[in-house]
Amino acid sequence: MSHQSRSRAGWAAAAVLAWLVGYPLVITLLEALGLPESFTLEHFLEFASGADEWRALWQSLWISTASTILAGAVGVPLAFIFERLGFPGRRILGSLIALPVALPPLVGVIAFLFLYGESGFVARGLQQWLNLPRAPWRLSGAVAILLVHAYSMYVYFYLFTRAALARLDASLEEAAAALGAGRWRRLRRVTLPILLPAMAGAALLTFMTSLGSFSAPYIFGGSFRVMTTQIMASKLNGEIAMAQVETVTLAVMAFCGLWAMRRIDPGSTAVVGGVRGISPTRRELRRPLARWGAALAGWGLALFLLLPHLTLLLISFVPPGTWTVELVPPVLDGSNYASLVTTPERLRPVLNSLWMATVATVGAVALGLTAARLSVRAGGRLGRMLETLVTVPWALPGTVFAMALATTFAVHAPLAGRFVLVGTPWLLPLAYLVRSLPLTGRSALAGLRQFDPSLEEAAASLGAGRWRRLRRVVLPLLRPAVMAGASLAFITALGDFVTSIVIYTFDTRPISIEILSSLRLQETGVAAVYGVLLVLVSGTAFVIWGRDQRA
Amino acid sequence: MDVPLGSGDPGTRLSPSETPMPPFIVLTGLQKKFSDHTVLQDISLQVEEGEILTLLGPSGSGKTTLLRLLAGFETLDGGAIRVGEEDVTGIPPERRNFGMVFQHYALFPHLSVAENIAFGLETRNQSRQEVQERLVEVLALVDLAGFEDRRVQEISGGQQQRVALARALAPRPRLLLLDEPLSNLDPDLRERTRRQLRRAVKQVGLTAVWVTHEQEEAFDVGDRIALLEAGVLVQVGSPEELYLEPNSLFVAGFVGRASVLAGEQLQDGRVKIGDDRFRGHGVRWPVVGVGDRSAGDKVDVVFRPETLGFESPDHPESLVGRIVQRQYTGEASFFLVELEGGGEVLVRGDSQTARIDSRVGVVVRPDGPPPRSFVRTSEAIS
Repeated sequence: MSHQSRSRAGWAAAAVLAWLVGYPLVITLLEALGLPESFTLEHFLEFASGADEWRALWQSLWISTASTILAGAVGVPLAFIFERLGFPGRRILGSLIALPVALPPLVGVIAFLFLYGESGFVARGLQQWLNLPRAPWRLSGAVAILLVHAYSMYVYFYLFTRAALARLDASLEEAAAALGAGRWRRLRRVTLPILLPAMAGAALLTFMTSLGSFSAPYIFGGSFRVMTTQIMASKLNGEIAMAQVETVTLAVMAFCGLWAMRRIDPGSTAVVGGVRGISPTRRELRRPLARWGAALAGWGLALFLLLPHLTLLLISFVPPGTWTVELVPPVLDGSNYASLVTTPERLRPVLNSLWMATVATVGAVALGLTAARLSVRAGGRLGRMLETLVTVPWALPGTVFAMALATTFAVHAPLAGRFVLVGTPWLLPLAYLVRSLPLTGRSALAGLRQFDPSLEEAAASLGAGRWRRLRRVVLPLLRPAVMAGASLAFITALGDFVTSIVIYTFDTRPISIEILSSLRLQETGVAAVYGVLLVLVSGTAFVIWGRDQRA
Repeated sequence: MDVPLGSGDPGTRLSPSETPMPPFIVLTGLQKKFSDHTVLQDISLQVEEGEILTLLGPSGSGKTTLLRLLAGFETLDGGAIRVGEEDVTGIPPERRNFGMVFQHYALFPHLSVAENIAFGLETRNQSRQEVQERLVEVLALVDLAGFEDRRVQEISGGQQQRVALARALAPRPRLLLLDEPLSNLDPDLRERTRRQLRRAVKQVGLTAVWVTHEQEEAFDVGDRIALLEAGVLVQVGSPEELYLEPNSLFVAGFVGRASVLAGEQLQDGRVKIGDDRFRGHGVRWPVVGVGDRSAGDKVDVVFRPETLGFESPDHPESLVGRIVQRQYTGEASFFLVELEGGGEVLVRGDSQTARIDSRVGVVVRPDGPPPRSFVRTSEAIS
């Protein structure tokens, strides 16, 4: 490709990305300002004077802060235990407890509900044991949201801290010891300061995930509203302009987070010199008591963290209407699973989710790979712009994108790049695609950056044309990176709830929406079956992803 | 002297004129295993106060592990370490008061040069004034005054190395441990730095244990050298002793240039090399025998290049061969001679007289270090 045509293709890709990613956000901002009919700040003033709005904003902020602190309190010690202590089962548990990050948030929420909710196992047990007239608690409000957040988001702290600990040059701690620093002083003065960038990265990621979290506040929040649920409520009440203002506000908050994130480089944990010739620091516990104590604690903890999903599995075998007041369900059989195959209406959402996730993943891989390739080749301003466009959907809450897409594609104005997609089966896959772009695009970028350009040049010197180079050299070498991005994109789309609830149609209702309606109909077993299905597919994709990460 | 490995008597050898002092560091029977694999076996060693001992050996010989045992980063599977009057075997590294310079320096990346150096002083309950004074002192010692506020990533590799030394010296350790401190420097910087390092250590009068895998570095900085092979201490001694009186074929081969020829021990103490039925293919040379042997034993004879010299091929006690290669180092020329009776030897000679491709007789010089022979234990090593 000549330089000129390459740059032209780069601008074309940038234009497509801008149309999908940037344009809907701009449209939302313009409509919130009353444009193009007439400019007005009325909706923004209404937002600023509404006590409910400020409350939702404040609650979003403090819930996110508290979630971050709680997730850190769980994740950081876990990282130390699994990176620094050697005990039986360490390796398998170490990867198992990272699993919640790959599971759809809605599944985590309903699993939590089945275990700790007012009619869940724990509450039932306590009620029977203490002979209480009713369940000892209602799982709702801020506390419930915080618990679910801490439970699912500790993984960020766990993974980041553990990776940084593994990278940490062991001789730094030894140097501190040789200089007379005891264990606590070493931790406080050397280890923790060096881990700080990684932990700050995890904190920001947790904060932003929490800010965009929708499933937990939606299911448990009730009248306790955060920004995401407030947007949904405004939309359902028909206050579209208000919903748009709220969307813009949440987007601005997320952009601030993204900006802060860019200033922290988790990679700066890298250390002067390398780690060659330094023996591992993992402290193999020798005394049987300590060894088995640690193993027990590790297994216990992992079991505790995975218990909600095991509950989900159990509930999926409970036939409808058979479990009322008993502590454990009296009947277990496979009828819920069978009904999935025999009842077309129940199979429909699964097929919907599968085809939409597949289409979205294929599209996101193609677009992400193209953008990444052009970004690396073009470099400079165009390269950075492409990279930013690919990254943005990752930083923005799903609700924001769903609202922006619903706003943009509700109008027929082909000259302005707007088409009516609302109400058609195509908007949801498109939304999934946009949300998955950062996953496919960034992993392609990472793969391409490690790619030695002289390999492609060598292929060219051997007479391989553009397509042949792509097919025979570039794609095979990028395959692990692309596969990793694709598997994450697929599970994100498959389990998506936050975007779906804003723009689904009855014919294209995905699994998550069906879970919600099953819950409403008191068909917990069916909801659990869908949940188990999502866990299985996500888990498999996560394992594939993990294998490629190691390769 | 070669039979009980590593149990030499270094004190008297080092300074025979002084009254014998008890050694400062005494290692007795150190054992270390990493999951069933023995890394160090029965290491016994003594270091005098104020001495620099280098631990030399090929990679995997256990020298770094030995240093880490001394520092307390690894725990012993047997044996004891005494420093001064104290048994430090069970004492954690932070309470040993040993300074350590790490291979990759291990400078704290989040602290400045001054903060790195002051790190070890903070624990010792010193006033701010004292810390400041000591800081100035050690910075001057390593010639880094004015670098206090620099970030450690901003300074060059050589400067990082000096900060690492200053940090280790600041708390006035009673022993300094150095783990291949120069391996991260460019070769041209290495030679200069190792003299600066040695001078700084000697100036403070510290006892030091210095790990290296480079023979030249070990000879340059060490008062004595402890040579390790596969977890066993094979010889301890001054550079001259290791070079001139190696106690095994391994030491002879690892330290300096050497050629090895197979021979047979004779009754009169000489060694027969080659087939002496043909002129110039066999000789009976006087050789220093290391270890017990009896007549008829197969031996390996080690020659330093300066042990051998050139004569006419007609000389009766010469091995005849052809010069195939010359290495010129500036100070001397070394000639590789392919012997007609088989084998090759390296001979230090004069470029004026010796020419490549010329046929020469190789003889033992009367003024050179005598050749040494070792009884072959198993299959030949050559």
